[in-house]
Amino acid sequence: MSAPPKGTGTETPRAKTDVATLLLRYGMVLVLLALIVAAVLLYNGFLAPANIRDILAQNAPVGIIAVAMTFVLIGAGFDLSVGATFALAGTVFAGVTLNYGLAAGAVAALVAGLLAGLVNGFLVAGLNVNPFVATLGSASVISGLAFIYSKSSPFIVEDIRFQYLGTATLAGVPVPILILIGTFIVGSFVLARTTYGRNLFAVGGNREAARLSGIPVRGLTASTYVLTGLCAALAGMISASRLGVGQADVGASVALDAIAVVVIGGTSLLGGEGAVWRSAVGLLILATLTNVFFALNVNQNWQLIAKGLIVVGAVALDAHLRKREST
Amino acid sequence: MSLAPIAVRCEGVDKSFGATHAVKHVSLDVREGSIHALVGENGAGKSTVLGVISGRVAPDTGSVSVFGEQIRGGHPTDLRNAGIATIYQELTMVPALTAEENVFLGHLPARRGLLDVRARRRRFLEICEDFGLSIQPEVPARELSVSQQQMVEIMRGVAAQARVLLLDEPSAALAERERETLHELLFTLQRRGSTIVFVSHNLDEVMGLADRITVMRDGALVADADTNDWTKKSLINRMVGHDVDFDERQSTRTNDLVAKITDVTVRPNAHPISMDIRRGEIVGLWGLVGSGRTSFLKSLAGLMPSSAGSLEIDGQRAAWPGNPRDSQALGIALLPEDRRRGLVMQMDSVDNHWIGRHGPYSPSRINRGHEEGVVKEAAPRFGFAPSRVRTPVGQLSGGNQQKALLSKWAARKPKLFLVDEPTRGIDVGAKAEVLNSLGRLAADGAGVVVTSSELEEVLGVCDRVLVFSRGSVVGEVPRGGAEFSVESILQLGFRAGEEDAL
Repeated sequence: MSAPPKGTGTETPRAKTDVATLLLRYGMVLVLLALIVAAVLLYNGFLAPANIRDILAQNAPVGIIAVAMTFVLIGAGFDLSVGATFALAGTVFAGVTLNYGLAAGAVAALVAGLLAGLVNGFLVAGLNVNPFVATLGSASVISGLAFIYSKSSPFIVEDIRFQYLGTATLAGVPVPILILIGTFIVGSFVLARTTYGRNLFAVGGNREAARLSGIPVRGLTASTYVLTGLCAALAGMISASRLGVGQADVGASVALDAIAVVVIGGTSLLGGEGAVWRSAVGLLILATLTNVFFALNVNQNWQLIAKGLIVVGAVALDAHLRKREST
Repeated sequence: MSLAPIAVRCEGVDKSFGATHAVKHVSLDVREGSIHALVGENGAGKSTVLGVISGRVAPDTGSVSVFGEQIRGGHPTDLRNAGIATIYQELTMVPALTAEENVFLGHLPARRGLLDVRARRRRFLEICEDFGLSIQPEVPARELSVSQQQMVEIMRGVAAQARVLLLDEPSAALAERERETLHELLFTLQRRGSTIVFVSHNLDEVMGLADRITVMRDGALVADADTNDWTKKSLINRMVGHDVDFDERQSTRTNDLVAKITDVTVRPNAHPISMDIRRGEIVGLWGLVGSGRTSFLKSLAGLMPSSAGSLEIDGQRAAWPGNPRDSQALGIALLPEDRRRGLVMQMDSVDNHWIGRHGPYSPSRINRGHEEGVVKEAAPRFGFAPSRVRTPVGQLSGGNQQKALLSKWAARKPKLFLVDEPTRGIDVGAKAEVLNSLGRLAADGAGVVVTSSELEEVLGVCDRVLVFSRGSVVGEVPRGGAEFSVESILQLGFRAGEEDAL
């Protein structure tokens, strides 16, 4: 018989203490901690429960979408249509509630999100349309539908029950925050601990290997767009409920915010790498920054500039560290 | 020969990548006009040495000089001035440009700032004639075969008047006949006074081509001698540090049919292919590149939906698989030709092992501990160190990647195991382990179908060889028969090709 097995590899595992590797992995956590320290020093009351609650509640819709967006990006996809779905779902939620009651409104809004996701999934996985183009196009269609349905005017819902989803509290915690936290917990469990999640990493990391391994690549890819559709719908409902209004002209910045959150956290735009907790870090970075700017009375326009710089900076840093790591 | 002046001199070259000490104090002289081979296992540092000579990698300490001139790392123009051209394993063609434009990439002949198209064509044809090549100047590079692209790269070096040509694994992707063309080309270059340094895993090629052979192990130079002083066995011994045993094939062939494959048409105009695979046997498929053996395996694995044929697995009729899942459901597994296509590089071996499957204890939940245990237990059977199972496969050597992939597919207990080029580009120690494990899989009852462009390897492991040419099977050679030799199988493959061509 053959010689006993030997560890014939001569390559050494990369030193785990390498600074670049650690930065690559946890750099954004450090940025978040630094931001929090700065916020505490800059103004009193950052850590006050009321402020924390405001921060989280305001950012709940984007955060919920970001969880699903993490799945899409890990599967090497991209979804620009979540803003439009967000607006459509809010409009449908309010409009259908006015005519047929709250339950019908909620179901109709979720079905709208589901359909949007199925269409995106079909375009990307079934017809092999580039996800950027597919969702850019579907965003336009979805947005148009929202305007047609609402005849370009807001649906104002007086029914107080309509506002529960966005404003009610359970044991002192606003419902949107509970949904946000729940989405993050379920999302990170599914991604990190289930075969669905692992297969998704495989699809994003190497489509060919995934296919050869017997993974239904198309179905899995499509499913991530269904997730963003549903999460965008849920987020749109929460937002409409908070305001008591469903309107088609909201959500312009939602898609980019959600993608920014995921990317700042360190999930790769190339697919195959990332984590839901990273998106939580990304969300908190953006939310903290907005809160500090608001408290310091900085002009909104500066916030836009800062946000843009952070997104590009985070991706550039990631690219730089990756390059260093691979040489 | 030893009187020729020194073309390339490395002195005390050291290079580390992070914690890896890739090259340890290597000093090496290459004589002008010689063909010099660097051999060693994966990770031995030979490619890094080649990189240092080519100036692509800057050494930490030590120096490289070419015809007495120092080379600064990372200055491509330095190299061109020194007359060095490098042909990498991954070819550097611009796919949309023509063959001719690729040859003159970066040094287009110009007159008063304008491209001199006529001079360029003249030079291109001159080089072609000089080396007996026939490459159409106007063909876009993307339409050239791998072998032709490589010729174009070498022509680029010639056009740039390179005096030293560096080649990294030049023949790894070539078929037998293309290799011969390459070898002739290199000999012609040598006769014209060029100096050639190359890295190769193919020891027959090394022994046949090189004047001098340098062996590296673990980053250090362990031996450097004229080819006449080496034997294949002594080379392997110095490369690995001990003798390597390939198992003698003890046939485990039975009479039970695993698969009856009838009238498969992969390509529209080829003769349909039929073959029977028995439990416990290893069938070798051999043919030139483009002979259809890879397409045939892919078709069985469900990767060519337009192919058709009839199939019986274990006596049960089955529909011809139209996708990989159907194929796997029938108990067919394919180890793909290019391992990079079969592995998710960011993932470790454990995750790669389990993708597309249910976990051992729950259909949907991952249990890291159990999963790792299963993979660790199987690893030694394939010569894979259990301590490496959590290393991302992208950081493993080619040999270890192949072992991880083999272990993954073997664990699915395929009835019919299709193994395409399992030893391509991996070192000799890993080769033995990979080939030996195929024997054990057959002994466990699988029908194994294996291809390799290295015919000697095919002959070493299998019970019979089917020769492919132009999309069909043109001959069957059983082990022990008179024709079971490299020469007669080559003849069979070439002869059939020529008859068809008439």
